[in-house]
Amino acid sequence: MENGSGCLNGSGAADSAEKAQQQQQCPAVQLSERNCEAVRVIGQYLRELGLARSAEALVLEAGCPLESGAAAQFRSSVLLGDWDGAEASLASLRRALWRESSWSEIAFRLAEQRYLELLESGAHIAALCVLRGKLTPLQFSPDRLHRLSGLIMCSGPEELRQLSGWSGAAGGTRQALLDSVEQFFPPSVMLPPKRLSVLLDQAVRAQVSRCRHHNTSLSPDQLTLLADHSCQAAASVPSVCSQVLDAHQDEVHVCQFSPNGRFLATGGRDCVAIVWLVEAAANPPGAPRVRHHLTLRIGEERGGVAWLAWSPDSRLLLACAAEEATEVIVWEAETGDCIKKLKHRDEDSLTTAAWLPDSNHFVVGGNRGHFYLCSVDVGFEKAWDFIRVVALATRREDDGGTAVLAADTFARIRRYRFDTMQDETLFREDGPVMSMSISQDETLLAVCVASAGVHLWDLRLRVCRRRLHGLTHGAYLLHASIGGPNQDFVASGSHDARVCVWHRGCQAGDGAQQHLLPDKLSGHGGLVSCVSWNPRHHGMLASASDDCTVRIWLPASLAAAALAASADGTGPGGAGFSSNGCCSSTVSKHQPPPLL
Amino acid sequence: SSEFNASYSMGRLHIEHMGGERVFSCANCDCPLTNRQQLISTRFTGATGRAFLFNRVVNLDTSELQDRVMLTGRHMVRDVSCRKCKTKLGWVYEFATEESQQYKEGKIILERALINESEGFPDPVKD
Repeated sequence: MENGSGCLNGSGAADSAEKAQQQQQCPAVQLSERNCEAVRVIGQYLRELGLARSAEALVLEAGCPLESGAAAQFRSSVLLGDWDGAEASLASLRRALWRESSWSEIAFRLAEQRYLELLESGAHIAALCVLRGKLTPLQFSPDRLHRLSGLIMCSGPEELRQLSGWSGAAGGTRQALLDSVEQFFPPSVMLPPKRLSVLLDQAVRAQVSRCRHHNTSLSPDQLTLLADHSCQAAASVPSVCSQVLDAHQDEVHVCQFSPNGRFLATGGRDCVAIVWLVEAAANPPGAPRVRHHLTLRIGEERGGVAWLAWSPDSRLLLACAAEEATEVIVWEAETGDCIKKLKHRDEDSLTTAAWLPDSNHFVVGGNRGHFYLCSVDVGFEKAWDFIRVVALATRREDDGGTAVLAADTFARIRRYRFDTMQDETLFREDGPVMSMSISQDETLLAVCVASAGVHLWDLRLRVCRRRLHGLTHGAYLLHASIGGPNQDFVASGSHDARVCVWHRGCQAGDGAQQHLLPDKLSGHGGLVSCVSWNPRHHGMLASASDDCTVRIWLPASLAAAALAASADGTGPGGAGFSSNGCCSSTVSKHQPPPLL
Repeated sequence: SSEFNASYSMGRLHIEHMGGERVFSCANCDCPLTNRQQLISTRFTGATGRAFLFNRVVNLDTSELQDRVMLTGRHMVRDVSCRKCKTKLGWVYEFATEESQQYKEGKIILERALINESEGFPDPVKD
């Protein structure tokens, strides 16, 4: 070139090749090694997208060739079908291999592609030459060689493609060959295939594992690259108290939503179980509210309601009384009719219960040492003796029967079958068990362990999946609840008057540690002993506290809508929102609830 | 009741149970405390007379640390009371100044007159 200084004549019609060469002699920008690598992966990405000219222009301007000269030669030879040229380039790349032993494999693949293409185009003689002269001497994989030589008998390209599983010269196999060869060379010689895509995918996956409220069904390659991923808590995690239910006269110790999400039962020291109706407001849709339905008395001598259990069909409610509880009561929730009062022995203490799937049988027990299988039709049916029961749950088993899960005073969680009278220890906790709660799909068990937190056990694998910390410990019983569309959320009470909500998180990854700390919801004025997730309205959580109230918590987006509806009193959903027994407060925690 | 008031915190107490064939409980409210297997010695004396030394007892509240001189020497103890009815039942040895008395550290004294012994049952589980 005449212009040694690199300055271009603006007026001349210099063709692009000259321009390119001039630019190559002095690149406009000096790049560090990292930046050069970045340019290389971007160039590879552009080329993979089919933007070859942009890729070339990038390389020229940056002065960072995508790969070594020999590699570029090899690549273009393969793509053009120039097999001899490819072989020659490959020979000069041989020194650069990670392992010398991979040489024969690469040469074999190259020759194999050549052989198959020749067969496909009908040049059988030439193919045979390749088989004898190139493939056989390599002495690599006799099996494959044998199969390849068998393909020579194929009557046409269709049959060849079918038998070999090879998609043909036009079927992207040349590019596939290049991709497979790339792994044998260090990145300075040849870039690993799709490098930038791999890096972007890794970054998105790392963001997903750190997402504290992750609950989307989108796969990582559907998430945006333009901002770090994090699910909006506002849409799924309860954070705002939308209602304060003030109907109890004393501490509330239990709250339970029915399995169909239509009812909420609460009970406590005032010896009364209250059934509330859950209504999803019509306008705006999806903002559920709770209103009083029935008040059911269990009698003052019983020391208060210790436990409430809904039948699986959500029709019946069972109440256990506190310490000296010899009797359990079953009501029909819709009408309030008492349909069963069950007592077996005077020395019993029946403080916990669970229903079996037929909504007729249930188990009751306590720490005096007996637990019973009973039914609504018949009453007492069978006893299991000498086990002091702390908490009960039931689970359907593979053979169609139902196992009763019982936590006992020796911190064991055991499984009992009343039909076969078989029992087995599933696992043992390392501290005293206060309560346990099974997820709706019966795969997870949340065990509240005194002074330790909530432990999540996988019931199929019988391993502890997570230990949830962060709640405040103390001398009183706490209950936990598992909820959310994928059993992703765990909530529990706490001695510091706050409700703890954890997002269980997916598989353990870098983000695992962060998922263990709960979100804490403030508002109650006393110990929160029990929580319950609504199985149908997934973000809805109820909490029962010693401050004599039950609070309903909703995700911020739903709560705003719910409050707007209550503000006009008689919203389009109907006039039934302010019946007696329930007062809906505004979000502010500092205002006392209005008097009835 | 919108203010957080510590004296309100009265949920349902978590009452443990150690099991055993002979169970000791609080004479006042029958809250389970310990069992015969945990009994180390019957030859102690408390305020009401005879007292038993136990290895492990549950459902007790403890007082602040106190410096006490006893017949056997100087000890640091905490008074223990029934978690359920708050009746004072005995004390726990935290620290013994004399080496010969250090075997008592961590063990609990319950006064015989303040506890009941009753029939329990053996654990049927064999694993």
